[in-house]
Amino acid sequence: MTRIVLARLVDLGFVLIGISALVFCMIRFIPGDAVAIMLGANTEVTPDRVAALRTQLGLDQPLLVQYGRWAWAALHGDLGTSLWTGRPVVAEIALHIWPTVQLTVMALGLGAGLSVPAGCMMARLHGGTADTLLRLGSVAGLTIPSFWLGIVMILALATLAPSLQLLGYVPFFDDPLGNIARLLLPAICLALPILANLSRLVRSALLESLGQDYIRTARAKGLGEARVLYRHALANAMIPFVTSLGIMTGYLLGGAIVVEQVFAIPGLGRLILGAISERNYPLLQAVILLVTAGFVVVNFAVDLLYRVIDPRLRG
Amino acid sequence: MAAISLRNILLTGAMLGAFVVAPMARAQILEVGVDASPVGLDPHLITAFPSFQVVSGTIYEGLTAIDKDLRVQPSLAASWTISADGKTYVFKLRPGMHFHDGSPVEAADVVASIRRVKSKDMASPMASRVGTVDQANAIDATTVELKLTEPTAPLLISIATIAIVPRGFEADKASLQKAPVGTGPFKFKEWQPNGFIQLTKFDGYWRAGAPKLDGVKFNIVPESATRQVGVSSGQFAMLANIDAATAMQLKGKPNVRLVETLELAYSLIGMNTSKPPFDNAKVREALNYALNRPEIIAAALFGAGVPGGPLSPALKDWAADTSSFPCYKYDPAKAMALLKEAGVTMPVSITMNVLPRQDIKDIAQVAQAQLNKAGFKVELKNQELGQFIQDWRNSSFDTFASTNGGSTDPDDYFYRTFRTGGSTNVFKYTNTEVDGLLDSARQMPDPAERKKAYSKVQAILACQGPIAHIAYGQIFSAVRSNVAGFEQIANRSLVTLSDTSITK
Repeated sequence: MTRIVLARLVDLGFVLIGISALVFCMIRFIPGDAVAIMLGANTEVTPDRVAALRTQLGLDQPLLVQYGRWAWAALHGDLGTSLWTGRPVVAEIALHIWPTVQLTVMALGLGAGLSVPAGCMMARLHGGTADTLLRLGSVAGLTIPSFWLGIVMILALATLAPSLQLLGYVPFFDDPLGNIARLLLPAICLALPILANLSRLVRSALLESLGQDYIRTARAKGLGEARVLYRHALANAMIPFVTSLGIMTGYLLGGAIVVEQVFAIPGLGRLILGAISERNYPLLQAVILLVTAGFVVVNFAVDLLYRVIDPRLRG
Repeated sequence: MAAISLRNILLTGAMLGAFVVAPMARAQILEVGVDASPVGLDPHLITAFPSFQVVSGTIYEGLTAIDKDLRVQPSLAASWTISADGKTYVFKLRPGMHFHDGSPVEAADVVASIRRVKSKDMASPMASRVGTVDQANAIDATTVELKLTEPTAPLLISIATIAIVPRGFEADKASLQKAPVGTGPFKFKEWQPNGFIQLTKFDGYWRAGAPKLDGVKFNIVPESATRQVGVSSGQFAMLANIDAATAMQLKGKPNVRLVETLELAYSLIGMNTSKPPFDNAKVREALNYALNRPEIIAAALFGAGVPGGPLSPALKDWAADTSSFPCYKYDPAKAMALLKEAGVTMPVSITMNVLPRQDIKDIAQVAQAQLNKAGFKVELKNQELGQFIQDWRNSSFDTFASTNGGSTDPDDYFYRTFRTGGSTNVFKYTNTEVDGLLDSARQMPDPAERKKAYSKVQAILACQGPIAHIAYGQIFSAVRSNVAGFEQIANRSLVTLSDTSITK
């Protein structure tokens, strides 16, 4: 077990080095640099000022030197300061991480939580009209883009219940109910594709295992249909379920960028988008590193979960 | 299943929401929806509009102020005198004014603020606005004297944009960016990055009876559809400075009122005069003849705008009427004749860099179609903002379609844009007659004489200058019908928030 964890940590190290180098180069290949954007299009700018600012920010150095400096500092725990605000990058991230974490947890909870009963229901109703309708619904859930759904939900709510104040974000500890109320719509937006995807997965995995010999044995022992379904069939359907769940956690962030934009939530997605358009290199590097690390860690956790779910791997 | 659970969850959300809304006390906080987050709030260091919108006239004030007719009014200075040679200005401050931190506003603060803007170390983008101020002296606690190197006619307007800050910040580059301290009707309370900026009423404001609101909250909402829902549902009381397209969608919504005015900002096509074909004045003139401005306004701006010359018609004291510019009469045949005279091979192949903003993209497309019918062959380059600015700064373009903010005094815009070597003369335009007129006009104390000089400049620039000015748009703000006292100003300043109130 320790060996596996260690091996995984080494993997994580390699992934982070690779990603940081890749991100470092890619964002610098985008034309237009931070200084040009910072000074704006219409201010009284002299070449001296541009040069001075470039030197001050270290952007006049060769790429390799810039990366070396950054990586060295990062290894010492210093991820740099935001080019625009001068605040430490870590502080900027700390300000923006909670809305996104909360949104991710709520979306995962809603999507994954509802997908098991939904999938079971679809498997039980297998072949009937209800099953077909549910499956059609899940296709819609998979294909409707979240930004469109978000805007439609906002419009619908504004028409149906105009007195509700559901735009924006309030911190949980200032106003717990207001916080949850405001995050609910975006969480639903993000949860819908997860729900659709996972419930289809649960359905097909269940149907597959229901055809297996051990299910026939269970039924032959005289177990009730519910116990057969939940105790025997569902337990075996959990392995692909957990794998998908891990991957989706990573994709949630991509969705969060769009949904945070639509619902005006000050989370990591907005931070990333702002950092890209400002060419805020240190901030962007740090956020992407963080997200990548998060993705790898979640998938590592999934691997560990396998050992809990699948007795064959416990040996 | 998905649909059913969705509806249930929506209902749950609605009930939760109802609990939240009920107990909120109704202080008069004006909720404003804005599209972009400021990057800093230091009045001498900011360059971008989202920052100015939040601080100008709300948190910060200058010695003078610009009113809604774009004329100079007293602000922190109650009065001033100008010496006969136009080189010494003496400002008399109002007595008993305070900064938001409680300290009194004195002449020493004004002097420190002007030194701060001029300081090399601070590298303020506004430095050139006080470029001719040689010395600033505090005569006594309420008297400031400015000594100029030469007479500077636009000084009273330029100085309106120089915010007065407490003297302690003179060498401090960081603090005001995050926590501004000014003299205005509202003081800074809280900034949640990417979330909102909240200002509250400043009880010690010098003007009696203002502000009427208890506070202003700028909610940063990047998505246009969300902002529109915000104001039509009443969560926001105001969307400030919106374009015609958004305004048309909000028109007629119950309880939403549009406030509008003709703005200083304009759309333009810029031409690079340092290389063929636009080094030839005839080609520039041909481009002007080839543009059908009314058609562009109808198609791209929903009719909400007017054709304009080098100065906005909103500047009633200065702008020449477009009927005095022959090339503003659409005439593709004349354009082709001019191209033939210029000796260029037709069609003249040119590229046009396009600023990534919807109205500008629309304008560029209509202009492309018109130009292609009059002897040009235009290739549009839709660019990302960073790339656009880089090409603009490096003069690496044939033409570009863009928008400019516009200035209250003609000198500010003309001198840096059209003077040989001007700081934003990216067209590399040079015309000795224009240079001479601009150099002398900024020293003329007599407004009538200045006006004559600028009329000449406008006549030269309108048809053969490096910029084809296209249109000055209407600028709108949408407010809830219970918002009173707010007026839209051509320079997009929200200074009238001090007289705004929310009625029941």
